[in-house]
Formats: sequence, C-alpha cells, structure tokens
Amino acid sequence: MSALTVLYDPTCGLCRRAHEWLTGQRKLVELVFVPCKSEEARQLYPQLDHDLTAKDLTVISDEGAVYIGPKAWLMVLWALAQYREWAYRLSTPELLPTTRRVVSLISQNRYQIGRATRLSRRWQNSGQTMAR
Amino acid sequence: MNTGITTYTYLVYLAISIALTIWVARTLHKNGRVFLVDVFHGNEPLADSVNHLLVVGFYLINFGYVSLALKLGYTVATTQEGIEALSVKVGMVLLVLGGMHFFNLFIFSRMRRRASLVNGPPPVPPDGFTQVAQEA
Repeated sequence: MSALTVLYDPTCGLCRRAHEWLTGQRKLVELVFVPCKSEEARQLYPQLDHDLTAKDLTVISDEGAVYIGPKAWLMVLWALAQYREWAYRLSTPELLPTTRRVVSLISQNRYQIGRATRLSRRWQNSGQTMAR
Repeated sequence: MNTGITTYTYLVYLAISIALTIWVARTLHKNGRVFLVDVFHGNEPLADSVNHLLVVGFYLINFGYVSLALKLGYTVATTQEGIEALSVKVGMVLLVLGGMHFFNLFIFSRMRRRASLVNGPPPVPPDGFTQVAQEA
C-alpha cells in the first residue's frame, strides 16, 4: 500500500481544519484528499455507494480496500509518521470499542462541533476574503 | 594539618568516578552497537556514528556531574571521615551513572521500536473492496 484516498466532507469546518492539519504532517503513506460525492470521487470509484461516504469518513487504499468510519480514522492516523504507534494502540481489542464510540460521536456531531468552535465561520470568512 | 587526607579523599574520589564512568561508557558502546545496527537496517557507518555521539554525550554529562559534585565543603580530619565522605560521593556518582545507563537503554529501545513501525501492517482489516478506476 503506497497511498490512501481520503473522501472527506468539504461542507464541515472540522473536516476542513483536519485536512489542513494533515497536509502539514509527515507521512509514511501518501494521503490524497478528494471531496466526498464529488465528480472526481465518482469517477475514481464507480462501484462505491457515494451516499454512504457523506455519512462517515471513508478511506480507500490504492488497492481498493475500503475503510469506513472509525477504521478510516485509524488508517489516517496509521499513515502519519508521528502517530502510527497511536493507530496500533487505539486499535487493540481493549481500546477499539472506546475508539469507535468517540469517533462516532465526533463524526455525528461534526457540524455542531465546527459551529461551536467557530471553525465553519472562520472558513466562511476566509472564503469571502478570497472572493474579494 | 589535615588537608592531606582531604586531598587524598578527592583524588580517590576522582579515580573511582572516572574509572566507573569509562567502564559504563565502554559497556554501552560495545553492546549498544548491535541495537543501532538493527535500527538503521544494517547501515553500519551510521550506527557507529550515532553510537559514538551517544557515548560522547554520556561522558560529558557524567564527567560534568563528577566535577560539580567534587567539593566536600569541610576538611576531612580522620581516615574514617574520609571513607564516609567517599562512600556518599561515589554512591551518588553510581546512581547518576545508573540513571544515565537506563536512559540510554530507553533511547535504544525506543529507536528500535520506532524503526520497526515503519514497515508495520494496517491496524485494522478493510470493510470491503471496491474497483479503482485508472486515473487518466
């Protein structure tokens, strides 16, 4: 495996902030970011259920292995040189249930979190400045 | 009149501390090499270089401590006092050496673990497989 495609939700501030953070991290596996439900995503993965990818973070390896939700988060962590150890730690049988719960909680409430931390607004503002 | 014993105490302290430091550093140097060669995937020149640098740091910290801890602050009057002063000083040096030694071991093992992670498999099995279109 040499690359992972991350189908992220471009409409959520938290996801965009995460994307920004990830681009600055040193990687052991290349990460390619494609907005979910976009034309590019549909062309890349013609057989995939794209409505599902909007509900939960989806990561697909260059060999076509699909990881959804908490597994996708773990795969992204695994791709980072600094956090690969954490990916293994969080995926042990003892911690995996907690990881799943926390990740699902964040994932389901991502718009509220983004709004509460003003990430969305900051993004809208920067969008406006760019438009000007 | 009694400064003679004090001076001897200092000299014996220095001799023991320096000998101990050299012994521990040599042990580290000799046995740490295998770890480092493994960490750097058989790149022996790099392993030797890092090994040497680690030992230099080890010497600097230990001799620094030995030198700082030399001063007794009082004149040793009897041989008994001299031996007691020596035991305290050498004991401290031994503890610092032991601490440094374990710290070095910790660094070696952490480097080894880090290196083995690079080739690690994915942490979780995939949920499924999908066809990947060839990019134009």
